[in-house]
Amino acid sequence: MSTVLSLAGVRKTYGDLNALDGIDLSLPDDSYVSLLGPSGSGKTTLLRVIAGFETPEAGTVSFKGERIESVPPHLRDIGFVFQNFALFPHLSVEKNIAFGLENRVVNPVTDASVVKSRVRDIIGLVGLSGLEDRAVTQISGGQKQRVALARTLVTEPSLVLLDEPLGALDANLRTRMLTELRRIRERCGVTFLHVTGSETEALAMGDTVLVLDQGRIAQAADSDTIYNEPKSVAVARFLNCYNLFSGNVSGGTFDSADGTFPLGAEKTFPSSVPGYAIRYDRVWIRPLDAPVAADEVALPATFLADEYSGPAVNSFFQLENGRMVEVETHLSVAPAPECRPHTRYALVWKQHDALVYA
Amino acid sequence: MSLSATTSETETMTDPVRKSSTKSVWLITPGVIWMILFLVVPMLMMVYVSFWTQTTFKITPDLTTKSWVTFFTSETYLNSLWTTIRIWLIVLAATLIVGYPAALFVGLFVKNKTIQTALLVLCVIPFWTSFLIRVLAWRPMLGKEGAINLILMKLNIIQTPIEVLLFSELSVIIGMTQIYCVFMVGPIAFMMGRVDQSIIEAAQDLGAGFWRIFRTIILPLTMPGVVVGAIFVSVMVLGEFATAAALSGRKVNLLGNIIVTQVGSLKWAFAAVVGVVLTVLMGIVVAGLLRVVDLKKEL
Repeated sequence: MSTVLSLAGVRKTYGDLNALDGIDLSLPDDSYVSLLGPSGSGKTTLLRVIAGFETPEAGTVSFKGERIESVPPHLRDIGFVFQNFALFPHLSVEKNIAFGLENRVVNPVTDASVVKSRVRDIIGLVGLSGLEDRAVTQISGGQKQRVALARTLVTEPSLVLLDEPLGALDANLRTRMLTELRRIRERCGVTFLHVTGSETEALAMGDTVLVLDQGRIAQAADSDTIYNEPKSVAVARFLNCYNLFSGNVSGGTFDSADGTFPLGAEKTFPSSVPGYAIRYDRVWIRPLDAPVAADEVALPATFLADEYSGPAVNSFFQLENGRMVEVETHLSVAPAPECRPHTRYALVWKQHDALVYA
Repeated sequence: MSLSATTSETETMTDPVRKSSTKSVWLITPGVIWMILFLVVPMLMMVYVSFWTQTTFKITPDLTTKSWVTFFTSETYLNSLWTTIRIWLIVLAATLIVGYPAALFVGLFVKNKTIQTALLVLCVIPFWTSFLIRVLAWRPMLGKEGAINLILMKLNIIQTPIEVLLFSELSVIIGMTQIYCVFMVGPIAFMMGRVDQSIIEAAQDLGAGFWRIFRTIILPLTMPGVVVGAIFVSVMVLGEFATAAALSGRKVNLLGNIIVTQVGSLKWAFAAVVGVVLTVLMGIVVAGLLRVVDLKKEL
């Protein structure tokens, strides 16, 4: 697969803040890439640099083999779908979508019938038929989202940037739009770079998932790898499904303020920030005095409360030093744990399920 | 207009709603009474008086069209009507040419809100002095031995002073444009401030250049500001007399100046005719400007 966009050493600072601190990434052609990052990690800045609204202080941005750092946004062949949609409030749905074709500097479409037919095609693709003449102030959030997408796609950009495209939609609609977005992208055959702060959205959407942390790409891999083998403590934290312990490896154990875990068959990742991670759903709840096997780790904790979410139950435990540990029990593979509040249990996991950063 | 709309709505409403809207009627009552007493009644009075019979020293309520005939047959008065319209159009164009780019600059390119506000306040600074001082201050600026002529001569750009600068139509236009420009800048900058920056970025991203974006996005979205500004400027310029009196050396007679002269010589009936003509003219101008954009959509 060829590369459509690549960034090397891109930096951008705002005052004292390093919004982008040496970004290296490359996006393959015809694929869905999601970019996961917490708020303030530089997601929007990165998109704005790629689109050309911000100029990087250092580094290179290459698009289809050409350097584009100094190319103004209207001459880049990159589409941007804004978080707040940014529709033209004085134009109808149809006119909004036709805007790029009619008004672009490069290769504008002057034949009204060509514009009309291409707009009609894209309206059909995103499912807005019948709303052509509506004012964009009179349509729902989901429809606005589709107009914003159609307006960008009709100009046939080689890369589409989506800035938290589902952030403004309600949960129900968000799930529907996820499948829609994938379908539309496959039909158009362009690369989508979908920026989001939601780990589930990033994992569900991306053929490739990029994780952004403090202005750098912390990990770039497929969803499965990101979820099961986060490369650093920071990535594991964004995934929101790991119990993380900080401490140090010394000899055959991982020593932390929360307990000492014997080491055996863990996956180990080189990292400047040492840590120990165990996924919520890899932890079992046992009576305090139950025997512990040689390849297992046990941690005594007090049960506080649980949270039922349908397919799973999340139980919250407190260690002696006050910190919380979360356990997720999938009801399809195990019965719901029946823990008594303020009672001590043993939290047990297999050594080979844990991840160690050292 | 808004009064009749409110009352007809009240009548069609159901009981519980009617109670609250009878209360809301009280909110506009003082305004309505004020307007009737001090706007509607005097205007009707003005129309009525314009048909009274005027003799040299007194005026009697015997209806006649004599004053009207005088106005529309006298070259002096018709000329002053044309002068008023001409100066209004030139000043309107000048305030737009000076004001629109300024408003665009403040609203579009000044990102810092504090600086934005400071720049708009700068526009209002001339209003901290009285109207008379503002107008008269142009004399030492534009006069034969005024600042502008002096500087141009010192720089050897001209050899003899430009006399047309003061006591001419040009000086009236310069003075009026300076005074009324802020009324154009304000509404446009306000509309510009309401345009979301990301809309302009979206247009850029879709491939449009600056002038295209200006024509297709910025201009239509700021048009309501232009119309409101134009209404302000028009109403004030059409009713002007002081700037013309102070800066034209009596060479430029606007309808406003004629009213002042006629009232000064106690020709009430004739002054009323000019007043009615001026009011009708303003009505036509405002109605015409309101047709340019649908202000209802903006409110």
